[in-house]
Amino acid sequence: MKYFLKRVIGTIPVLLGVVLLIFIMLRIIPGSPVLVMLGEHYDQETIERLTELMGLDQPLLVQFFDYVKGALMGDLGVSYRYQRPVADMIMDALPYTVKLAVMAALFAWVMGLVSGIIAAVNNNNFIDRLFMGVSLLGVSMPIFMTSLVLQYIFSFKLGILPMTEDGSMVSMILPAIALGWNSAGSVARMTRSSLIEVMQADYIDTAKAKGLLRGAVIMKHALRNSLLPVVTMMALQLSSMLSGAVITESVFAIPGIGRLATEAISNRDMPVLQGTVLFTTVIVIAGNLLADMLYSVLDPRIRKGE
Amino acid sequence: MKKMTAILLGLGLIIASLSACGGSAEETTAGVDTSAQETAAADTAAAAAEDGVLRVAHIKDFQTLDVHKTTNDFMVPINAFDRLFEVVKNDDGSTGLKNSLVEDYTVSEDGLTYDFTLREGLKFSDGSPLTSSDVEYTIVRALTLPETVQTDIYSSIVGAAELMDGTADTLSGFTITDDTHFTIELSAPYAGFLGQLATPGASIMSKAANEAAGDSFGQEASATIGSGPYMVESWTRNADLVLVQNPNYWGEAPDVKKVIISVVPDPSTMSMMFQKGEIDMLDADYIDSAVFDSTYRLPEYEDSIVSADRLATTYFALNENVEPLNDVRVRKAIQMAIDRQTILDTVYSGDGTLVDGIFSHGLIGFSEDNQGWLEYDPEGAKALLEEAGYGDGFTLEISSDNSSTASLLLVMQIIQQELAEIGITVNIEPYDEASWLDLRLSGEMPSYISTWTADYNDPDNFIYTFFGTSENVVSRSLNYPDQEIIDRVAAARAITDETERLAEYAALENKIIKEDAAWVPLFSRSHLFVLGDRVESFVPHWAGYSDFIFSSFKLAE
Repeated sequence: MKYFLKRVIGTIPVLLGVVLLIFIMLRIIPGSPVLVMLGEHYDQETIERLTELMGLDQPLLVQFFDYVKGALMGDLGVSYRYQRPVADMIMDALPYTVKLAVMAALFAWVMGLVSGIIAAVNNNNFIDRLFMGVSLLGVSMPIFMTSLVLQYIFSFKLGILPMTEDGSMVSMILPAIALGWNSAGSVARMTRSSLIEVMQADYIDTAKAKGLLRGAVIMKHALRNSLLPVVTMMALQLSSMLSGAVITESVFAIPGIGRLATEAISNRDMPVLQGTVLFTTVIVIAGNLLADMLYSVLDPRIRKGE
Repeated sequence: MKKMTAILLGLGLIIASLSACGGSAEETTAGVDTSAQETAAADTAAAAAEDGVLRVAHIKDFQTLDVHKTTNDFMVPINAFDRLFEVVKNDDGSTGLKNSLVEDYTVSEDGLTYDFTLREGLKFSDGSPLTSSDVEYTIVRALTLPETVQTDIYSSIVGAAELMDGTADTLSGFTITDDTHFTIELSAPYAGFLGQLATPGASIMSKAANEAAGDSFGQEASATIGSGPYMVESWTRNADLVLVQNPNYWGEAPDVKKVIISVVPDPSTMSMMFQKGEIDMLDADYIDSAVFDSTYRLPEYEDSIVSADRLATTYFALNENVEPLNDVRVRKAIQMAIDRQTILDTVYSGDGTLVDGIFSHGLIGFSEDNQGWLEYDPEGAKALLEEAGYGDGFTLEISSDNSSTASLLLVMQIIQQELAEIGITVNIEPYDEASWLDLRLSGEMPSYISTWTADYNDPDNFIYTFFGTSENVVSRSLNYPDQEIIDRVAAARAITDETERLAEYAALENKIIKEDAAWVPLFSRSHLFVLGDRVESFVPHWAGYSDFIFSSFKLAE
């Protein structure tokens, strides 16, 4: 337990560093949010008034401390463009992203693990190639391509699944596959190589020598020992999916975190961008922590070695 | 094995809690508005869509529904609110104003005093009456709201400046006689004033409803009360906005009873949705023109494409602070070296008209007299460059905004080639949108191509924006140096005699474009729409903003 506590405390400087970094970077890049908001129809008086109103004329340091002070109290500021609290905007977008991420991760894990195991067991024959090929196709194909192809076939041509997100779970199937397939390949590859490696260990020979069935050897002995790196990867994948899938969200019109962030970049909507970056940082750190925890549960040596 | 089970259980729990959280959010977003969309998702969308419902797509979510805070998102303001006047398009293609909330008005001889009479019995969608005090409230709000971007509409009213800088708390130029009569006094005659009152930014708001709503006006559907043919039923951020017919509307009831505007950020998804019948109209502005040509310029869509003029001029701006653009002969050479008709034909399939002056077709002040000012003459251009001492050419940067469409980039590339033929080496330098806007405002952008769309139908809105003040010429990166002409552009606003005013604009246009070659007008593009089977007709309105007036749709039986 002490180990985890130490890990949690260790994340605080990381968070502060990220906030500072993103804050400085956002102020260094040229481009005023006021101008983007006004577009083609601007005049000097309006520009000056809005700049002052948004506090953009304040010194950088003042802006930074104001932001950190607010953030500590849970106030992530107000969007320049939408004039809504950033925390509200993130909470609005979060359910969509969570839905998408969880479904995509489940797809990736099931597909990745199953193909990885089947491929490893059939090491180097046709079935191995087939399963790995299908899994790796998702990694090799850019997500926008996968998304468009899936959308074209299943929604446009066959008409069996909705084209865009409409609030139903069914409408999340295609985006989840598009996003999950991309990760499934990595899971499959790692499961396969790790399983093949473990299969060559001495204790597997022992298990076989005991007369255990092939299935039991794989499931009980080999798989369990080979899962360690795979689980880490899966946890990290989930956290990266939770930080928003920009392209998938855009193609399937899902109002999630990824879209919030990209739109904020082009709008120079700094509070929203800071908020989403801060949020994703927390998610990624949590994902890492979770992976570590699972690690030590799976492998007692890590716990005992502390 | 026990541990393994525990892990799986743990994972299961995490997933369960996550999906539970997703589930509950789904409930909150799934309101009345999603039902129609769900049916639309079925493959028999066209047949299943409810009667009287129009479904359209919008590329991004609305910034706000409060028109005082936006210069872009007019979809809700123009449909759920009314203005004192509206712009109408005449059969001959010209445009004019018609009374909307105003029954009648008179202007004093000196052009300073406007007496207005509102229609009797006007109501907001919540049933409360619309009176003179709501008009006053709207104007004061537009001038004093901290986030306002619409001050320019009313800045010509007496006392507007005092109200804005805080030295007065009432608008002295606005006098209420009774509920339906009020008077507005201008500090100087300004011919474009009524035109300004017809812009989306001049939508009339309800004093009582707005004061009750506070900050939620423009943010929440139920708090956003107007008097237009529609009212906002629901707004799910980044997903959809639903408009329904306003039962208290004073005018004729629209044919479309309900509108679902879905946010669809990906243009190819939008196009597929249209072909699948999930949306009833496609705005070609969102689709790359090459894709549009190959997908929709087919016999089967021939009768479904609607084309509209827009009050917009696409122009090539040259910065006179940058050598050698400060030489009028060089600017003239550039004007002559660009084959605009070929660009319009190649990139936009000829959908549009060439503009030889500043004012576009349909705008008050547009005249055919300027046709032929700009002729494509590469040989003449070469000779002019030679004369100016740039026979060996020079290098010019065209600053390009990354967020511009592929078609606009193609326009730049063709211009790059055409200028290369007369010896000018053009570098197309990409900037992201925000940096691009910043650079232009600084007055240091060497040259760029952009489109100006009229805010209101008056030539002043074009010429003043670019050449009306010494700040404007800088903030548009033109750095036009002739102060005398700048002063004349500003002074033209106050000419009360309409014939005299338009003559002055014609003279200024001649001087700026023909003599000084300070601008390279290119063309005015048509705005194309494709209508789905469920739409019988749609009459696009006069303006260039891509928002639609839903009462101008007629659905098929």
